[in-house]
Amino acid sequence: MFGEQQRFMLFLIAPAALLLGLFQVVPIVIGANASFRDWALYNPKKTWVGLDHYRAVITDPAFLEVVLPNTFIFMILSVAGSLALGLGLALLLNRPFRGQKIVQTVLMVPLMVAPVIAAIMMRWMFNDQFGIVNAVLEGLGMEGQPWLVQRWTAFGIIVLTDVWLWTPWFTLLLLAGLQSLPKEPFEAAAIDGTTTWRVFSHLTLPMLQPVIVVCVVIRAIDAFRTFDIVWTLTGGGPGRSTELFSIYAYVLAFLNLDLGRGSASAIVGGLIILVVGVVMYRLVDRVTKS
Amino acid sequence: MAAIVLSKLNKHYGSLHHAVKDVDLEIADKEFVALVGPSGCGKSTTLRMIAGLEDISGGEIRIGGKVVNNLPPRDRDIAMVFQNYALYQHMSVYDNLAFGLRNKKVPESEIKAGIDRAAEILGLHELLKRKPRQLSGGQQQRVALGRCIVRNPLVFLFDEPLSNLDAKLRAQMRIEIKRLHAQVPTTSVFVTHDQVEAMTLGDRVVVMRDGRIHQVGTPLAVYGKPVNKFVAGFIGAPAMNFLEVTIRKEAGTVVAESPVLKVAVTEPSSVALEAWQGRRVIMGVRPEHLVLGEGLLSRSFAAKVEVVEQLGSEILLESRVGDARVTVARVPPETAIAAGDQVRLSAQPGRLHFFDPESENVIAA
Repeated sequence: MFGEQQRFMLFLIAPAALLLGLFQVVPIVIGANASFRDWALYNPKKTWVGLDHYRAVITDPAFLEVVLPNTFIFMILSVAGSLALGLGLALLLNRPFRGQKIVQTVLMVPLMVAPVIAAIMMRWMFNDQFGIVNAVLEGLGMEGQPWLVQRWTAFGIIVLTDVWLWTPWFTLLLLAGLQSLPKEPFEAAAIDGTTTWRVFSHLTLPMLQPVIVVCVVIRAIDAFRTFDIVWTLTGGGPGRSTELFSIYAYVLAFLNLDLGRGSASAIVGGLIILVVGVVMYRLVDRVTKS
Repeated sequence: MAAIVLSKLNKHYGSLHHAVKDVDLEIADKEFVALVGPSGCGKSTTLRMIAGLEDISGGEIRIGGKVVNNLPPRDRDIAMVFQNYALYQHMSVYDNLAFGLRNKKVPESEIKAGIDRAAEILGLHELLKRKPRQLSGGQQQRVALGRCIVRNPLVFLFDEPLSNLDAKLRAQMRIEIKRLHAQVPTTSVFVTHDQVEAMTLGDRVVVMRDGRIHQVGTPLAVYGKPVNKFVAGFIGAPAMNFLEVTIRKEAGTVVAESPVLKVAVTEPSSVALEAWQGRRVIMGVRPEHLVLGEGLLSRSFAAKVEVVEQLGSEILLESRVGDARVTVARVPPETAIAAGDQVRLSAQPGRLHFFDPESENVIAA
């Protein structure tokens, strides 16, 4: 049925396909199955309920008015923040200076920190009684804030933590992008009397655009699934005000032990990110081809 | 007025690499000077120092009487054409041409007039709306030239602009650059490793090696009177033949001889060679100055043909004279000759060059 070459290719693909099937496809199928049933751990009758769970999720005010907006605001702020900072740092590192290598290495440190650890650090820094931030503020004669028990300060700290974690990643990739740009157009621009800002806006940015777009797409999709830092910092609180999509699904499935509803919400989220992802990939295609 | 004066120009990269050594050169206003030499001879570095893209380690550069050592490139009023065109890939040809002028906030109407003129000269009209990657190499290089013209600078700098083009396009662009210089007379410095480009384009040719200038002169002067063995071998294609000979005087005539040949030397070389009697020197003769056949018996020598290259317009011969390889050019294409033939070659009178084997400087020409 297959030639020798095809058989060899199948042989090479088989282990990965097997793993993928076992740990991705099968769970998705089980999850999808669960999402159509009343499947609670304390009462596992598994009655078929059709689209009831889906209806419940997409009409849940908490999902529509808090979780979804939170998730997209987080995605936009985190990606925009770390892109801006990462680009700035990459531009600074792109010109040689004394100690450049050391600075570059130090800047990479957050990449090596586990997100949970970073979140714990942040939680302590912003602790209202013992945190260094309030200590400094009070030292300066200002009033300390209960950072993690107000919605928008807590949300800001979540974004800040994510930006801190991911800025080096942007720096690294954008720096590599900058260094791979041909240098002659910049020399031509120098001879043409171009100001630094015009070089940046008319040459560097457009030439770097393909790299930027790919970075943004990868990070945006990744940010959509963020769980660990939010869980560690606020657990979705105060109340449910900083809940992101992944927390919402996790709470339903594993705290409320309602696997049916949890699975349904996970699949809704999966569909949303699928659409967002496809749109973004189209964008990448357009940019890299033009 | 934009004469360029380089005095005692030096460039060091770190402490080990001395790329340009004491270069002195005066380029007159509207003159076209070609810097030529093998890779790593410092010609590009010299050009980039004139452009302001490289710092100057020592010496001085003046453009139009003004010392520009510490001026950034944009204040030197120069334009440069790069080997890989250096076009702004994401902009249309029109925007590429306009970019430098927009930097200076020139009104759009003036920009349009300037671009129209440049497009006229270079035949770019149909290309203005396209992006560089939709153009051929030759078209891209024309756009790069256009970008220089619209700026109307004091000086044009060319950094091996034709190297990325195929042979046919290169010949065509050579003519375009020559025509351009006639239409828009501007002081120009042209860097190339191709001696044909240097000879055909330059009002004067500057031959460099190892960071030093070896000879400056008109194309005819560097071809006809090379000052040393390097220049003699570098300029001219196919390259000059070199043979080791000993100088003697026989019956009042100066002769150059080796175990395999004996050639009578005519004036003026013979005068200068008087002092070299009994000593070994290097004799140089260009392939195109060798003639197949007896000629004057006193000037001919035997050779064995090894390779025959039929070019249609002429035959190139690779032959062996003793241990030395000797190339002969301009052999009439109909000549019946084959590898292995024994022939006699003779040099045209007054076309022999002699070099000191130690210093490699010319003894007489």
